[in-house]
Amino acid sequence: MTPEEEKKVLASSPVGTWVVMATYGVIFVVTWLAMYGLFLSRGPVH
Amino acid sequence: MSITAEQAAGLAAKSRSGVTEVEAYGNKLGLWSMWVAFAALALGLPMGLFQAAERSGFFPGIENTAVYFASTSTHGVLLAFVLTTFFAMGWGHHTLAHVLKKKPFFGWTSFWVALTGTVIAAVPLLTGYASVLYTFYPPEMGHPAFYLGATLLVVGSWFWVADMIIGMTQWRKENPGKPVPLVAFMHVMTALLWGWTSMGVASEAVFQLLPMAFGISATIDPGLARTLFSWTLHAIVYFWLMPAYIAMYMIVSKEAGGKLFSDEFARIAFVMLFIFSVPIGFHHLYVDPMQAAGWKLLHMFGTIMVAVPTFLTGFTVLASMEIAGRLRGGKGLFGWIGALDWGNPLVLAGGLSLLMLTAGGWGGVLNAAYTWDVMVHNTQWITGHFHLIFGGTTVIMYLAAAYWLWPRITGNALFSRKLAVTQLWLYFIGMVTLTAPWHVLGLVGQPRRVSSTPYDAFPELVASWSVYEALMIVGGVILVISGFMFIYNLLMTHFNKVPAADTKVEYAVAIHEPMRVPNILNSLSFWNWAMLAYMIVSYGYPILQFAFIGTPGSIRWGT
Repeated sequence: MTPEEEKKVLASSPVGTWVVMATYGVIFVVTWLAMYGLFLSRGPVH
Repeated sequence: MSITAEQAAGLAAKSRSGVTEVEAYGNKLGLWSMWVAFAALALGLPMGLFQAAERSGFFPGIENTAVYFASTSTHGVLLAFVLTTFFAMGWGHHTLAHVLKKKPFFGWTSFWVALTGTVIAAVPLLTGYASVLYTFYPPEMGHPAFYLGATLLVVGSWFWVADMIIGMTQWRKENPGKPVPLVAFMHVMTALLWGWTSMGVASEAVFQLLPMAFGISATIDPGLARTLFSWTLHAIVYFWLMPAYIAMYMIVSKEAGGKLFSDEFARIAFVMLFIFSVPIGFHHLYVDPMQAAGWKLLHMFGTIMVAVPTFLTGFTVLASMEIAGRLRGGKGLFGWIGALDWGNPLVLAGGLSLLMLTAGGWGGVLNAAYTWDVMVHNTQWITGHFHLIFGGTTVIMYLAAAYWLWPRITGNALFSRKLAVTQLWLYFIGMVTLTAPWHVLGLVGQPRRVSSTPYDAFPELVASWSVYEALMIVGGVILVISGFMFIYNLLMTHFNKVPAADTKVEYAVAIHEPMRVPNILNSLSFWNWAMLAYMIVSYGYPILQFAFIGTPGSIRWGT
């Protein structure tokens, strides 16, 4: 990798990370809500 | 197996021009602190396997309630208190010597006081006189030696906290206006967090448990004890996690072949972890009656806030790995993942730790909500959750950090990189195999803190748990094998005759190294005051109420 290419990588936005984090965020919220829907509808444990 | 300071310096000099007296001191103190930590791991892991096997009911010959609870208590204390405290102290002192170039003021005093406390506590634990679990909630009471030993362990760690604060303060005086090196700032914030959060359990021990155990006080208020312990109980998780995060930020980013995405993000994450993780302990008391719902709500919002620095950490570490992957030729949206050197133990552990954090963090945010916690509070879901976050996400980074630190401390080459990689994979597989069924068992209603599940009225229910119990034992066996592979590799490295190729203690640098950082991200005083204010708001009245109204059925505090 040339110094120019290296400089370009260091200056670029980590788009892959943004996509991973955004995907994880969506899965996080959806499954969080799903767990609530699945279990809390049964009421509290006695 | 002991080595002198001269030998430590000599070992290091094998592969480099030499180390300073301060660095040799840091090496020796760091090495022995971390050996104590990993000895605790080696002792604690087989106990965990025994508990999974005993509880399953598959092996009637080993079923013994007394031994189970002695084992559980020892396992918890060894791993949650001894492993973590000695690892944090060892690496912190090493950083003080190598990065800030400061000789710890208390140094060995902290080590010996903490070790003496550990040994004193170990005797009643191992002989069944302190089977009170690692949370030691009263009115259960253990032998006085247990509380005395635990208190000494905490006091020993306070000497380390003082060392870290003194070291950073001196460095700042000598380097006015310069940013404290990031790795040192992170270690000092970890120490500061421990200083604040350990005050809760220390108060409980000094004012309640020790007087009761020694017969000075005839009664104890469990409500107050649980409140004081909750002061420690959640932030301690971040005391465990922060060294793991330091390894991710400062070693994984470098070993991956790139740079740290942002110095400022890392500082902000650590400051947020410090400020938000202490005053939120009431999520451990959601089902306790002595605290009112409003306080629990306040602590619930604080608990959810901790997800922010956790996401920030995940983003910064992942972005740093992406940069490294791209510098290694990775193209496209995800090509950088394949371009990373997954044969490097640090890179592998970083990836596996983040994977476990995604699942464990998600479970943590579920638990933060009152309504969810009420449902799962006394089930195996909770034990599965904290094993995934602590045993998985956290400890795997301790192991990887040791693989990086040992050659730098001893001057000897890592005995086997291949063994290290295999060990880390096994550890990950074992931890997932252990904790996934554990979560499921909680959801289907298996209670925690039990040595057996003899629900004779519900044979079908108990039978349906068997497959999960069996999987947990398999996971435990894999973890024990992995743990001993780790200890073997570390021991062989310790005595390796081959000098290490690289013994420089150099951590990751940021893409844009800051010439200056805002004072608020470079000093401690503002955050100490902020913490004091937040603690008064969140714990002031909930603690003082015990002096005003007491707990029904108990004698008021101090009377």
